[in-house]
Amino acid sequence: MRVLEGWVSGPLSRFLDESAARLVLLMTSSGQVVAQHGFTRSVDVMSAAALGAGIMASTGELAHLMGSPRFGALVHQGTEQGLLLSGFDTPRGRWIGLVAFGPESSVGIVQLFFQQFTDEIAAATPPEEQRGPVLAENFEHELNASLRALFGR
Amino acid sequence: MSLVNFTAREITCKIVYYGPGRSGKTTNLQYVFGRVPETRRGRMVSLATHGDRTLFFDFLPIELGSISGFTTRFQLYTVPGQSYYNATRKLVLQGADGVVFVADSQARRFDDNIESLQNLQENLLEQGVDVRQMPIVFQYNKQDLPRDLVLARADLDEALNFRGVESFAADALHGSGVFETLKGISELVLRKLAVGGPAA
Amino acid sequence: MSGAEHALRRISAVRGVRGAMLVSAPDGLVVSESSMEDVDGRAIAALAASLAGRLRRAAGGAGLGRPTVIQLRGETGTLLAVPAGEELLVVAVGDRETNLGLARLELLEAARGIA
Repeated sequence: MRVLEGWVSGPLSRFLDESAARLVLLMTSSGQVVAQHGFTRSVDVMSAAALGAGIMASTGELAHLMGSPRFGALVHQGTEQGLLLSGFDTPRGRWIGLVAFGPESSVGIVQLFFQQFTDEIAAATPPEEQRGPVLAENFEHELNASLRALFGR
Repeated sequence: MSLVNFTAREITCKIVYYGPGRSGKTTNLQYVFGRVPETRRGRMVSLATHGDRTLFFDFLPIELGSISGFTTRFQLYTVPGQSYYNATRKLVLQGADGVVFVADSQARRFDDNIESLQNLQENLLEQGVDVRQMPIVFQYNKQDLPRDLVLARADLDEALNFRGVESFAADALHGSGVFETLKGISELVLRKLAVGGPAA
Repeated sequence: MSGAEHALRRISAVRGVRGAMLVSAPDGLVVSESSMEDVDGRAIAALAASLAGRLRRAAGGAGLGRPTVIQLRGETGTLLAVPAGEELLVVAVGDRETNLGLARLELLEAARGIA
């Protein structure tokens, strides 16, 4: 499990214990990862977040076009595993959860405990801290070296 | 704004390649994908139509390495250029930390570039973002085409680059200018997080 | 009224039963329910299906075959569940005064009718 901010850990651990979910990805509505469990490569996490946020955004637009309120959750039941994609409001804006689960759990269980999880998250969200600068003033030389190495130059 | 994880010391930034249809946004990402070692990038996700036009977006995550002790990652997105995909463009633009405007240098595409740039401003404004506050660089692509078909960088700067930000001549298909463009936008985006930079 | 709804009504009519429902066993979702008063039907469905799945594995492991009736007694009431075929589960929740014998009969009857 990896979390961006420590306070997410408690609710996420409880959700994992209770739901027996295989993968969990928590992201902002623009696709930035807030927490994840079960992925092995950080780049895969980012792809999953981009796609999950994209799906939520597009179904939201679709609901808007059809004159209905946005969809609360989307469920895909595959043969090997199911996926739940669900948006929820937090004091930091709308977040999205992507949960993959196998036959050891069920969509009912995942939905049930996901609701509890989002309630806990919404209640526990602290105000955003104002942080100072994080990079050194002359970060460019490190950036350039990284980019050159990346492009084999 | 860029996501900073102070516990794991990680920075994640979202960079969107914007511009008119067929200007070479996807080509930029494909070139980056081809050059960056597999260990430092994810799969390139392309939601495209049968004719290889971007339908929703392309997405490529890359890991730059450590900068000031922070593992720094970029999420590169493209938007679909065709005008009728505006709803999708708005969605992809949400939460962008920087924009690369990929213009088509061909003289016959001049109006398409202007229209796309105006569309970018409108879409940002709708999200409460002033285009003047958004880190942006211009890339004038297809500069490899015969001189009589394309506009020079100075002409394109005059037409599009009213803020006088960095601009790059490019031939994304063969890679020329792609690296410089990415470097340019990276510096602008990360400058917001640096000592002495504008407040993030 | 469908056969399932009729069967659920019959179960709910038993003394002490607070509600009955038909649950999709693999998904843990409510298929149909009858008068689930003061009970979170969604939660009961998810948890009862999960419990039934685990008990089925436990019963199989112990060589008991498949469970035919699940009866869970709590301090203030009882949960009854009867599998109806592979996919469904008939579930009832009752208080301490529930006529459990009759409730079981009605659940088994409902499961036979639905399966």
